[in-house]
Amino acid sequence: MKLLIIEDNERVARFLKKGLGEAGYTIDHADSGRDGMFLAVSESYDAIVMDRMLPGGIDGLSIIVALRKDGNKTPILILSALGDVDDRVQGLKSGGDDYLVKPFSFDELLARLDAIMRRSQDQATDNSLTIGDLHMDRLSHKVTRGDKVVNLQPREFKLLEYLMRHANQVVTRTMLLENVWDYHFDPQTNVVDVHISKLRQKIDDGGPAPLLRTIRNAGYMLSADA
Amino acid sequence: MLSQPRFSAFTVALGFVFVSAVALALFATPIQYAWHEIVEERSTERLREDAQRLENVLRRNGQDALKTVIDAMVEAQQPDDEKFILLADRSLKPITGNLTIWPSTIPDTPGTYTNEFTLNGRKVEAIMIRTTLSDGSNLLVGRNTAKFKTVETLFWIGLVGAGTSVLVFGVIGGMLIRNALLKEVHEINQTANAIVAGDLSRRLQRHGGTNELDILAQTINRMLEQIELSVQGIRNVSNAIAHDLRTPLTELRTQLEELSVTRPSPQQTFAEIDTAAADVDRVIAIFNALLRLAEIDNGARISGFVPVDVVNMVTDAVEFYQPVAELRGMTLSLTSNVQIVIAGDPVLLAQAIGNLIDNALKYATHKITVVVAVTPEDVICISVIDDGPGIADGEKAKVVERFYRGDASRGTPGVGLGLSLVAAVTKLHGGNLVLNDAAPGLNAMMRLPASTSRR
Repeated sequence: MKLLIIEDNERVARFLKKGLGEAGYTIDHADSGRDGMFLAVSESYDAIVMDRMLPGGIDGLSIIVALRKDGNKTPILILSALGDVDDRVQGLKSGGDDYLVKPFSFDELLARLDAIMRRSQDQATDNSLTIGDLHMDRLSHKVTRGDKVVNLQPREFKLLEYLMRHANQVVTRTMLLENVWDYHFDPQTNVVDVHISKLRQKIDDGGPAPLLRTIRNAGYMLSADA
Repeated sequence: MLSQPRFSAFTVALGFVFVSAVALALFATPIQYAWHEIVEERSTERLREDAQRLENVLRRNGQDALKTVIDAMVEAQQPDDEKFILLADRSLKPITGNLTIWPSTIPDTPGTYTNEFTLNGRKVEAIMIRTTLSDGSNLLVGRNTAKFKTVETLFWIGLVGAGTSVLVFGVIGGMLIRNALLKEVHEINQTANAIVAGDLSRRLQRHGGTNELDILAQTINRMLEQIELSVQGIRNVSNAIAHDLRTPLTELRTQLEELSVTRPSPQQTFAEIDTAAADVDRVIAIFNALLRLAEIDNGARISGFVPVDVVNMVTDAVEFYQPVAELRGMTLSLTSNVQIVIAGDPVLLAQAIGNLIDNALKYATHKITVVVAVTPEDVICISVIDDGPGIADGEKAKVVERFYRGDASRGTPGVGLGLSLVAAVTKLHGGNLVLNDAAPGLNAMMRLPASTSRR
């Protein structure tokens, strides 16, 4: 998997190169908007991580707009110190796939990068999802674990659906807040954890092997392999 | 715009004088014109008619008849009706009329002349019409205009008098206004200088009236009130930020220093680093909350208002926090029998409602009730009522302030910005946050006007 990092801050760039390299990615790095633009256009990448404010005459959003106009669909994760709701909306509207505000935790970045790359791989919205012996039918809103029917509240259904769509990858609390509840703030209480443990009781209770695991310091992962 | 106050008062006076002069001119010109047109032109016209009629008499009835008519006209003349008439032969020798000799100053050609003539030995202002009749004799008809002159002179004197009084009163009035203004401006100036020097408590004096300057003073005083509050707020917030950030930063620094000095086992080092990262996250959380508040405060988000189903949003929030309440053995219930859609910012409203429930979860002992209702005055009330310790009356205003943390909250997690954010979001939507006693507990109520599209 090949990534392009467009980031002018040396320390952040070094951190990203090292971390993502250890996560198994091949990295190209550009430290200006101009170089980033050239690389993005001429090479083929699995995903691009880019800063929003860049030196070199071309800022991040302009690069995205240009790439999208050109028909380039490479998933793009925007990193930015501009964290207002409006800034985020602007970033996503211009064609970015996700928006992460600086300062960020590396786990959050990795999880979101995984998510956007997966999203571009299976664009098809299947009406049924299956992870191990957990099965979800999106049309009839029916969930079964083995041959046992699991009864879920609408919001629990949505939570499970998101986890199943992102099976085998780490999903952070913030990602769940944003995508399942559409909340863009951090609750002071550990609400997400409580929701997850309730869901876990429903799907993993009596199952042969737990599917929903907690990943320390990062989030959760739904996976069939132990 | 750098002109000094005395110039401005002076300019006003000058402008006043100028405008008055123009008004006078506008008033006088038509009168002068009408006077000239009606009185002078008409009387000249009548003289011309007289001359024409006399010519007709001569042509139809001969010179004798003309003489008779002229004599009759002279005879019929009133003493004050100073008309002149003279018939003379070719060599200007008088034949009949009320002038003894042909005036020497009348030019040789026929025409209408306005001038000062010597008639019967005295000087007279007059209009004279000279005609050469068909038999070659000369006719002179005229009228004394001295009477008109008097009226005209009076008119001009009146006009100049009015102009002068306008000028005098204008200048005096201007000076009076200027002095009054200078006095007031001086007061304002002194107050402003005191404020610049740092005394923010100074206010403009008011004289109890309702004139423009008093109204201005009131407005300025209200503005100063607001500025003093803001400055006070900034001062408090700066202190609070410094204090609130110092705690996690101190811990962080100590931790890192300890690590570098003691050099513990790698495993312990990693654990310490995780704690350090958590401390940094606390600092980041404070900054994020502050930035969000700043974003709300500058009001730019009003442009992003969309229709928001309030009950739906509150229902979602209650559902969201339900499992936490259950886990803590509390009941969290929602009461609402209304259907309301307002124009608002869904992200911020959700966060505000979330903060209220978050807060209630922190302090409630058994029960949290969320109520959505609409008052008869069309105010939407979203109340979150807990049965915790509540807030003392004296502290109610303070808990909304940034970074303030009530006595009851010492030792609980939180950065002290939750209620400030709720208050700011409510204000952005044109409403206000009310904190009431629920005896026991707190009733935190967001009051939003139903038509909430402007601040």
